[in-house]
Amino acid sequence: MRDATAYALGERAPSRVAEPADDAELAATLRECDERGDAVVLFGGGTLQRAAAPPRRFDVAIDLRSLRGIVAYEPSDLTISVRAGTSLDELSKTLLAHRQFLPIDAPSPRRGTVGGALAAGWGGPRRATYGLPRDLVIGSTIALSDGTLAKAGGMVVKNVSGYDMSKLYAGSLGTLGALTILNFKTLPAPQVQRAAVAALPEGTHERAVAHVREIAIEPAMALEIGGFSEIDGRDGIDGRLVLLFEGSAAVVERATRDLRSGLGSAGVPATTIIDRGAADVLQRAIDACVAPLDGGSITYRLRGSAGDTYVRARLAAALAATHELRCESIGDLRSGDVTLRVSPSGDRTFEQAAIPFDDDLHEAFSRATLLHAPDSLWGKLDAWGKPPEGIETMRSIKARFDPRGTLAPGRFVGGI
Amino acid sequence: MEHGVAPRGLAERLADALGTDAVKTSPEDLAVYAFDAYSELGPPAAAVLPKDARDVSAAVRIAKDCGEPIVPRGAGTGLCGGAVPARGGVVISFARMNRVLELDLANRRARVQPGLINLDLSRATQPHGFFYAPDPSSQKISTIGGNVGTNAGGPHCLSYGTTTNHILGLELVDSDGEVVRTSLDDTGYDLTGTLVGSEGTLGIVTEIEVRLMRLPAAVRVCVAAFGDVEAASAAVSAIIAAGIVPTALEIMDALIVTAVEAHYHAGFPTDAGAVLLIEIAGAAEDMAASEAALVGIAREHGALSWRAARDPAEREVLWASRKGAAGALGRLAPNYYIQDACVPRSKLPQALHRVEEIVRDHRLRVGNVFHAGDGNLHPLLLFDRRVPSEVEAVVSAGTEILATCIELGGTISGEHGIGYEKRETLPLVFSPDDLATMGRVRDVFDPARRFNPDKIFPSGAACGEVRAQRAGAPLGGRAWL
Repeated sequence: MRDATAYALGERAPSRVAEPADDAELAATLRECDERGDAVVLFGGGTLQRAAAPPRRFDVAIDLRSLRGIVAYEPSDLTISVRAGTSLDELSKTLLAHRQFLPIDAPSPRRGTVGGALAAGWGGPRRATYGLPRDLVIGSTIALSDGTLAKAGGMVVKNVSGYDMSKLYAGSLGTLGALTILNFKTLPAPQVQRAAVAALPEGTHERAVAHVREIAIEPAMALEIGGFSEIDGRDGIDGRLVLLFEGSAAVVERATRDLRSGLGSAGVPATTIIDRGAADVLQRAIDACVAPLDGGSITYRLRGSAGDTYVRARLAAALAATHELRCESIGDLRSGDVTLRVSPSGDRTFEQAAIPFDDDLHEAFSRATLLHAPDSLWGKLDAWGKPPEGIETMRSIKARFDPRGTLAPGRFVGGI
Repeated sequence: MEHGVAPRGLAERLADALGTDAVKTSPEDLAVYAFDAYSELGPPAAAVLPKDARDVSAAVRIAKDCGEPIVPRGAGTGLCGGAVPARGGVVISFARMNRVLELDLANRRARVQPGLINLDLSRATQPHGFFYAPDPSSQKISTIGGNVGTNAGGPHCLSYGTTTNHILGLELVDSDGEVVRTSLDDTGYDLTGTLVGSEGTLGIVTEIEVRLMRLPAAVRVCVAAFGDVEAASAAVSAIIAAGIVPTALEIMDALIVTAVEAHYHAGFPTDAGAVLLIEIAGAAEDMAASEAALVGIAREHGALSWRAARDPAEREVLWASRKGAAGALGRLAPNYYIQDACVPRSKLPQALHRVEEIVRDHRLRVGNVFHAGDGNLHPLLLFDRRVPSEVEAVVSAGTEILATCIELGGTISGEHGIGYEKRETLPLVFSPDDLATMGRVRDVFDPARRFNPDKIFPSGAACGEVRAQRAGAPLGGRAWL
């Protein structure tokens, strides 16, 4: 039996950890907890557990990592079925052996699981190119809190046979059931990956970003970064572009030429090309979204349109400054997501600064959500902001799937 | 409702709320709503033509008060009875809600009304360098709202995905008549993704936000001829296995090609057993190398010839004839029955072989025109509905084809939906628990089962009974696939 304290979330630790060995045992465990009134939090690698509110009640942690392995993989079908507890890294390696990949950009792929990434609905920096995990999933099996095991979708890439339940489960953060098997469509791996990094001198930002937006060959990832030195080893809060191109050698070559000349005429003196290690740049950009700083930090995501990425990042930074917080940002120029990391910089304690900032941030941005917070502050921050228009429907869905509120109580939007 | 006033008739109340011009109740006017492109069920008690979400909301509230079911309808091009009332009630037609409301090109989004014709959206965006990717073969006439209902596919799903991958948000009228918005940008459960493909059983969509894509810099359309459909589909599997994802891989067999050529004169080889239509799109730099790789694979799999369209006009003709293929079959038989099933791509040759055997056993003729790259089969069974034994044979063959596809790891609908036609077949794919779990979603959105009743979910009645009812339905009218 694993140590229950390793599963603590914020100030709550479970009294018991269950590690079901198969679907039937998982279903039985869920049902038993449900009947006893025990609150359950499902665990994969735990890498994205903080991108939600801490649980209101927490009795049992169910670790799903024993439900691992490839169920079916026929490379010529470009589909794969995996158990939800399989690590993202194992999945990638299996696919890469056949020159395929699944573009789920989640942090710490050696620890993170396929089910966890899907349940978190995690969108990484290539989401505008390849879609979210919900766009890649074609089938699923879920264990509900009453012990029902239910399938949806299948192993074909087009399917309108019944409701698309996998979409409902994606991003539901373990509040509706425990995913046990997931089927995905896969893609041929890009022949070439190339990262390009360019520091933006003052006054060049607008033209440089405009060029990146209009570039004929679209980068798979286009980030404008301030701070977050762990991504490319550069320091400083001044903006820099970190791009990733994927495709054939000829296309990537042409994209590089276009980028260099475009950035050059925008007044950007140098563009550094990274070929070996391009994948590492991508992974570090993903990992940075949930990585805390040593002195304590909180990370948020601000959703919005691609067109005003920079404006939101600047506004948020200005807001942080008024609260004496240091602010770093990653603006995704293609999806519009802005990742914001704030850390203490003034005389006040982190808590004194962070809590009013949290209020102001949600006031200023209707779609700000929490990605990471330290234990001491986690329960005091608003993880989800104002509930969306469909919240009553969502509450009804929760009530119909998990009537006793057994699964992850209080962790989701609007206290679901 | 006013106190002390007895509820008046459904038609009067609808006319009061929406205007007489927006409400149809005469038998002549209602007859059209008893059909889709394939099925005939019953006419509704009334049909309404709302101009906005408020009208839809009013119609839903009135229908609810009167205890009448509600069936949303786009262009009526569906092939499974999804838009046809199974129990009368009120049909809500979106014929007057057919506008583009907003083009936000900077963010590659458009807001449209559900009655907008699919092709009209791409026409509106193409001059700006954008397009709406899902292009079912019915796109000249089917609506975006209908496409959302069935999560419509089309030939270009192979690289662009299906409708659901392009829907960013919805506005819908719920079962209480309230107008609610959903968006992929929202926190919480993915209501948008749950609603797409729900065939009008969860709510009435009144506005749709879609994703636009940049037009590819280069497009090439090629035609390869093969000895038979199995060879052509083996080539398709090999293309996919080689890590090439064209934007479309479509197969037509000899019977279809002959009919299409007689109609369109597109220049497809009529002496081949099957032709494969391939489209590649992307950066200009990749075109020559991709085509060379494709030619190589086609040759290895016995391609008899290869031709690339020389200009956009020639591409257009090839695509127009492919998308009009089913219509061209009118020359071959009085009626045809289209099946829609999907198998894992590598199982295509086996599936086609089995289709051939099943059809032969039933002494029928079949034409195959299908989205090979997706493993999405569309056997068209030719028959004459005036001959009862042929109708019987078609229905049995159709069921056997579905059973075969399930055995091969596939499913009973790739893109047309379950509707009325296949609801009794759904239990072959899903267990009672699977279906009951989907039913929980229905419980939330439509506890009274007022939205499009008798669709998707099996009735629980004996299959044979329903099958026998179905046998009278095939019309052999226009159809797209």
